[in-house]
Order: sequence, then structure tokens, then C-alpha cells
Amino acid sequence: MKLQLEKFGKTLISRELGSEAFKAFQSTLRELSKDEELEIDFSGVLTLSPSWADEFLSPLFDLIGSRLVLLSSDNLSVHATLRILQEVNKRPFIYKQTS
Amino acid sequence: MEEELLTISQAAEYLGVSLNTLRRWDESGKLIAIKKDGGTHRYYREKDLEIFASDMMKFASEWIKDGVEFPSRFYCPTSSIFNARLTKMEYELMQKPGFEKLYSLIVLIAGEIGDNSFAHNLGKWPDTAGIFFGYDLAKGVIVLADRGLGVLETLRQVRPQLPSHVVAVTVAFTEFISGRAPEKRGNGLKLVREVVTDQPIDLFYTSGDAEVRMKGSDKKFHVTRGQRIVRGCLAKIEF
Repeated sequence: MKLQLEKFGKTLISRELGSEAFKAFQSTLRELSKDEELEIDFSGVLTLSPSWADEFLSPLFDLIGSRLVLLSSDNLSVHATLRILQEVNKRPFIYKQTS
Repeated sequence: MEEELLTISQAAEYLGVSLNTLRRWDESGKLIAIKKDGGTHRYYREKDLEIFASDMMKFASEWIKDGVEFPSRFYCPTSSIFNARLTKMEYELMQKPGFEKLYSLIVLIAGEIGDNSFAHNLGKWPDTAGIFFGYDLAKGVIVLADRGLGVLETLRQVRPQLPSHVVAVTVAFTEFISGRAPEKRGNGLKLVREVVTDQPIDLFYTSGDAEVRMKGSDKKFHVTRGQRIVRGCLAKIEF
């Protein structure tokens, strides 16, 4: 399953909205089968902040672990935010290179 | 040709303050009105109002210090209004030559600092809810401020032993707070510090009597004790 993160907005800043997004995503997440990967596509996102991502990606990572796969992005805020979240969660995300 | 003057009502609308505020500012000398031919009606030059409204640091610091009214265009009473204005700034910044990629890090910094104000004062604002958010992209300045609890009082909810504003601000910018609930301030400000260190972005941040100045080529992070106590938080981002 692939999730276009920009469906939650192009400017993903506030902790409150990150938490709302995670709740809203639960119904879709239930459709993910046991062995299926969830790919996160950051294209179209203009700014991603650690507060928003900590409310969305961190709990998602806790929930599905290595089945969470991130697509690469050239956005500087996405890079910076993912770097700090890995430090906070003390484990690296899994990346898939797009061709 | 005679310059067209704005009436006091037009000036009030331009700045987003009341007529009484303008009268008071005239009497105190803060923003002096023009009086034609010895009359009593107050008039203003648009250029003067523009210059007056551009001093964002003055408005922000007077507001958090003494609750002094400021032009409403800088006021974000709720998080959703802040987000909407931040998105507008993001769009404008993306168009600025040289900022085609850097814009997202500047928006990240402003967004984290502004969102912190709302996240940590929700239901706890001592008086005025909301934040000051002003920017001038031509000059490369963003100013954010709040009249909230400040970093020390917020962090004491999870670290009751914190001795001072300086230590609290240092912790906020450098440490991951373990078992963070209900306090989640740590991570965002840590990333703000890292981004400011690496990028051509300067930061001034103050809360209580603690001050952070990261400027120029030597951007070592350290927190110093300032001359005055600031209510809530005040930040100036320059690029």
C-alpha cells in the first residue's frame, strides 16, 4: 500500500494536526494485510516538521515496524525531520530508492 | 502635488488597532499624527504607517512585556490561523530567489517555534491566548512571540528540579526528554538548533531571562542570562 502524505496537506507543521492525521488514517491502516508494506511518499509535501511527524510517523513505526518503508525525497525539511526522528526513536527508518 | 493623507479611521484600519489606541499613541509620542492648519483632526502618511508597522521586534517585545496593543495583522489567536498564515508565508518564500530549497527549513523553524507556543499553553494561557507572528521576507526577518508560561514552567511539569530559565532553555534545545508526555517540547527545538547551526539562518530566542543568540559564521550554541525577564517566549529568525 502506498500513502501519499500530501493527502494530509502540503504544509505539515502542527502536533495537533499530526495527531488528527494519525487517527484519520486508522481506518485505511486496517486494510493493510499482515505481510504488506506501507510505503510513504513525501512528494508534494512542502514542509514537514518534527512535531507533525512525531505524531504520525513515530506511532506508525511503533505499530508496523519494518513494514513501514519511506520513499526518498529531496525536500530539506523532510530530510532534517526524518533524521531527528530516527535519533528520538533510536532506530533507523527503512528507505526504498525510487528510480 | 500634495501627498494624500489617511484619516484616523483609515489609519486604524490600516494598522488594525482602535481609534483610541491611535489617539493614545499620538499623545504619548509613539506615533505622532499630522494636524492640518492647527486643526484637531488627526491624519497620517501611509509611508509613515508602513515604517511604523515594520518594527516587529518592538511590537512583539512590548506586547509580551507590558501587554501593549499591536497591529492585528501580526496576531494569530488560534493555531489554525497561525497555520494558514504560515502557509501563505511559505508560498511567498518559495518565490524568493535563492530560497527555492531553503524555504522548507525556514518554515520548519518558524512552524516549530509557533506551534510550541500553542501546544504548551493550550488551556493554560495566563491572559491573552495566541501568538505574535510577523515577517518581512524582503528584509529576511520573522518574529514570533507569546505571553504563555515560558519554557521553564512548561518543562518543570516533567523536570520539577530545573533551577533556572537558562538551564530550562538549554534542556529544551539540546536534550531529548524521555517519557515526554505530557511535555513534548524537546525534539522540535533540538532540530531548530541543528538547522540553524548548519544553514545561513540566524536565531535569537528568549524565555524568562535566558537568551540564545546564534548568529554569523561562528554559531556555537550557548544560553546566556539576559538583563530582563521575558514573559512567555520571543524569537527572531533572520536569513
